Amino acid sequence: MALLQVTDFQSFSEVRGQILPVRQRHLVDRTNHYNFGSKTQEFAVPPGVEPSGFLKSCNRDGGVCIEMNHGTTTLAFKFRHGVIVAVDSRASAGRYLASNDVNKVIEINPYLLGTMSGSAADCQYWERLLAKECRLYRLRNNHRISVAAASKLLSNMMLGYRGMGLSMGSMICGWDKEGPGLYYVDDNGTRLSGRMFSTGCGNSFAYGVVDSGYREDMTVEEAYELGRRGIAHATHRDAYSGGVVNMYHMQEDGWIKVCKEDVSELIHCYRKGMF
Amino acid sequence: MALQDICNFQSVFEDRLTTEYPAVPHGKKIASSYVSGLPFSNNKSLFHFYIPVAEYLDESPIQFGQISTVQNCSAVSSEDPFLTSSSLPTCLPFASSQSVPLPFPMAHGTTTLAFMFQGGVMAAADTRSSCSGLVACPASQKILPIHSHLVGLTSGTSADCALWKRILARELRLYQLRHGRRLSTSGAAKLLSHMLHPFKGTELCVAATLCGWDGGETGPGSRGETTKNQMTELFYVCSDGTRLRGMLFSVGSGSPYAYSILDQGVHWGLSVDEAKSIAREAVYRATYRDAYSGNCVDMYHITSKGWTRRNREDLKEEYYREKERRKHEKTERRDVTFSD
Repeated sequence: MALLQVTDFQSFSEVRGQILPVRQRHLVDRTNHYNFGSKTQEFAVPPGVEPSGFLKSCNRDGGVCIEMNHGTTTLAFKFRHGVIVAVDSRASAGRYLASNDVNKVIEINPYLLGTMSGSAADCQYWERLLAKECRLYRLRNNHRISVAAASKLLSNMMLGYRGMGLSMGSMICGWDKEGPGLYYVDDNGTRLSGRMFSTGCGNSFAYGVVDSGYREDMTVEEAYELGRRGIAHATHRDAYSGGVVNMYHMQEDGWIKVCKEDVSELIHCYRKGMF
Repeated sequence: MALQDICNFQSVFEDRLTTEYPAVPHGKKIASSYVSGLPFSNNKSLFHFYIPVAEYLDESPIQFGQISTVQNCSAVSSEDPFLTSSSLPTCLPFASSQSVPLPFPMAHGTTTLAFMFQGGVMAAADTRSSCSGLVACPASQKILPIHSHLVGLTSGTSADCALWKRILARELRLYQLRHGRRLSTSGAAKLLSHMLHPFKGTELCVAATLCGWDGGETGPGSRGETTKNQMTELFYVCSDGTRLRGMLFSVGSGSPYAYSILDQGVHWGLSVDEAKSIAREAVYRATYRDAYSGNCVDMYHITSKGWTRRNREDLKEEYYREKERRKHEKTERRDVTFSD
């Protein structure tokens, strides 16, 4: 995707679009519909279509039972030695468990990570698009994009489609010249920098655990344990979270994947001696 | 209240009481007669409510102010009293056949928790009463003692909870006077559940956790405290008919935050001080993150000797202490990096 854009390669359909009269351009299909630094800002939604109305008609009120994927628990916190990112791995569609082994962390590049919560399709697509833009930035400017800029790009993408029914709650984590960076970006266009975030319907359970155990001067092992506990306790109480804990540690020279542990084993381990 | 019933006290106004009043909540009021005298003074039925005469109160009070769509959805127009339940917001689990918009938003946010351990039952709750964004009372009491060995935690609409607690206390006292012994916690939970059942499907919102000690004061103690055959009981009763027995419950908007702390730390062998500190930490974390919980924390400890109440503690102090601690850690960190 990135290479195509940089080398100004025009696919057949685009060339054809330039030859044909202007009004028929809308029907030409484009490979990439979001261009930074281009003359006009284009949106892939053709005029006249209203996605949010369509989505509303797909809800229970409209008599249809299509449930979007929404349940998850993800958490991330900054501490002295970097950023810990921990996510569960369950994908649910209403009451049906689509999968217990989804990776909800997208590895944008070796020094940037994005988490996904909300609609799986939206998250995967937009974060891949973000990955493309980060690569383009690196190719054009010869230095890595900062975490603040990457999260701003994502948030602008969301703002472009605001009110149209996107559902995404993501955390962009990385390490740049300013040190460890953690931003929360959401489908409303919210972009917040912070020390700790948790998203998804199990987030309240994770907040309790991490708020209580967090200390700035934690060792790396303690931080890993806190991340694991946060997700494990959230999956214990929340029906829409479960599977395994995927944990990443963002260090100065890039991220490492710490572990992938089954939550049921973790809970047995933690609750030994309980009722 | 209870004593008057027992001794069949006839008040002056009793001859004007009408017994035609329907006890079933969905029926319309037959006649707008004036029912005076004490509420509940007719011991034939529990549900004779006192109704003042007014034109707008033509319907039974159970239906007055039924469906509220205020919470965060669009408002229902008051000219249409027969909206079907499909317009209800999904946050309210009840459906009702008639809908009249509430005159004001009801109070629902709270954090209450209770768990059993070897030293009895520990119950804790915050003290904030909120009314859709306004803190109506920062010092309300959500843990109401019912009798010396039974304590109820309330969550849901404050008015409903306070009323039903009093009704339950009255019924338990009546039982005690009639039968000479206290009703067990399990029986009290069943009684409350049956009393709430006629109101199922209405806007009544009571989620009560009953914590009690059954049996005499000397009985369980002589068997030793470490056995699990203790007489402590913990029940969760809800106005939609749920009645659950368990060892750990947390109810309210702040409950998810409290649950994760409790899941981490609660086990049978806790000492009383450890249990107190876990309960306090759980309520504190819930008030930290939940907007509808806050202010102070109340704690009650129920043992064979009855309930004991700890002094109400303001969580603001705890918040400032934690902030100081974090600031201290941050400056420590800066010192460490500079000294490299």
